[in-house]
Amino acid sequence: MVALWTLFKKEVKRFLKVMMQTIVTPFMSSFLYLIVFGVSLGSKMNDVYAVSYLAFLIPGLMMMGLMNNAFQNSSSSIAVMKFSGDLEDIRVTPLSHHHILIAMGLGSVIRGLTVAVVTYLVGVIFYFMQFNSFLGISHPLVLIYFVLVGGFVFGLLGICIGFWAKSIENMAAFTNFILLPLLYLGGVFVSIETLPAWAKTVSSYNPVLYLINGMRYGVLGVSDEFFSMVVKDLKCFKIYLIKF
Amino acid sequence: MSQLALELINLKKSYGTLEAVKGVTLSIKPGEIFGLLGPNGAGKTSIISIITTLEKPTSGQVKIFGYDVEKDPMETKRRIGVVGQEVVNSGYFDVFEILEFMSGYYGILKNKERIDYIMHKLGLYEHRQKKVKQLSGGMKRRLMVAKALVHKPTLLLLDEPTAGVDITLREDLWAYVRELQQEGMSILLTTHYLMEAQELCRQVGIIDRGQLKFVGPTSQIIEQFSAKKIMIKLRKDRESMAHKTFLKKKDGFFEFQIPSQESMGNLFRDLSLTLEDVEDIKTEQGSLEEAFKQIVSK
Repeated sequence: MVALWTLFKKEVKRFLKVMMQTIVTPFMSSFLYLIVFGVSLGSKMNDVYAVSYLAFLIPGLMMMGLMNNAFQNSSSSIAVMKFSGDLEDIRVTPLSHHHILIAMGLGSVIRGLTVAVVTYLVGVIFYFMQFNSFLGISHPLVLIYFVLVGGFVFGLLGICIGFWAKSIENMAAFTNFILLPLLYLGGVFVSIETLPAWAKTVSSYNPVLYLINGMRYGVLGVSDEFFSMVVKDLKCFKIYLIKF
Repeated sequence: MSQLALELINLKKSYGTLEAVKGVTLSIKPGEIFGLLGPNGAGKTSIISIITTLEKPTSGQVKIFGYDVEKDPMETKRRIGVVGQEVVNSGYFDVFEILEFMSGYYGILKNKERIDYIMHKLGLYEHRQKKVKQLSGGMKRRLMVAKALVHKPTLLLLDEPTAGVDITLREDLWAYVRELQQEGMSILLTTHYLMEAQELCRQVGIIDRGQLKFVGPTSQIIEQFSAKKIMIKLRKDRESMAHKTFLKKKDGFFEFQIPSQESMGNLFRDLSLTLEDVEDIKTEQGSLEEAFKQIVSK
């Protein structure tokens, strides 16, 4: 456990040492998205499932920041360790492969969570300025679940890509041509209910969509119709389990 | 448990069609410094990579204090410290943090006392808050050694630890290696500085193109594969001395080169010399470098 804890601590310390790049830059982009789309354009847009567009946007941006940063954390860490020789240092120690995966995955969750919290705080300030009320968390446990799953899955994906990439260019290619399209088309800015039928079908194959809707449900208590149905089913299943 | 610190049993490693290690068998006793010597590409680093589990052997076995590196990698990893050829640049962290993390990877949570001790020993203490890129080449090497020692390994693997470093650092490092040996640590050393290997290692193995050409005591290899020089100055000077081992005459001394195991008496007898004829005698023992060249050129 000490070995796992040490690697986790190192991963967290690493991103805190380059805070400008890992926390301040995502904060700036969230700030810009919120002010341009949420506050400025959002005031001219219709409500989405009876909530303002700004409120709709906040959890989407939180999840997008979380997944993107979790991915960047582990992928850049592995790539840097691989190119600097640090990875061999770790491989000759008694750290098992499981320890490495868990520690780096959790380190990614922490970075993703930090970015999500910063985005939420900025969003709450804008929401308060616009509506003079506080945007609370509707389902904290659902939120925690999606933070952990989203951060950990994208952290592990980052490890895979970090190992696969032969150069920084390979990693940039994956981020720009696969990861970012999945994130942007995963329902951050629009509900898939507003898309044409064919686009809705294509989007349903995007795994990011479910994570973003999960986060939205955790914060707002509402999300795209299909996800609300999943939640209802889960609730019925829970009642069924409790009864029997 | 085996009494041997390290055992390589018929170890083979191939990369595709290239046989990098061809059935190497050797062992290191606890508390021994063993020199694994060979030209570039001889297979030394492949052997070290297998010992550290970075590579899998094609066949054969490696045991560290009785534990098989393939069956019990965690047990063997806990017992070894590795100083690799390449300097690792852990860009974000300072010297103390790097050593603290290294301790943690070996399961040691609070290791400040040991880290401070090693930093003092290796002259790193004053640089403990510097990042790797701020250290000089020599200091970077010292850091590599410190990293390998934080968990008190019982077997230390030094893979060309002094490549490209100045004489002062080399001497400091070897002095520390001797100290570690006196504390009971077993050491496997690869180096291209054969003079230093001759002074440090009681046992050596010479490997060439993956094949172990010689393994045994350093004194034996020197005796077996090198020649000693005998320089004789006569009371009554002569122009030359006819003998198959005669090399040259320099500053009044006649130089002869005879096999290390051969006695000087035989030479005197062949030359029909007595002690009364001799004004001065100097001898120069053969070196590991000569023996190495002999073996590798075969």
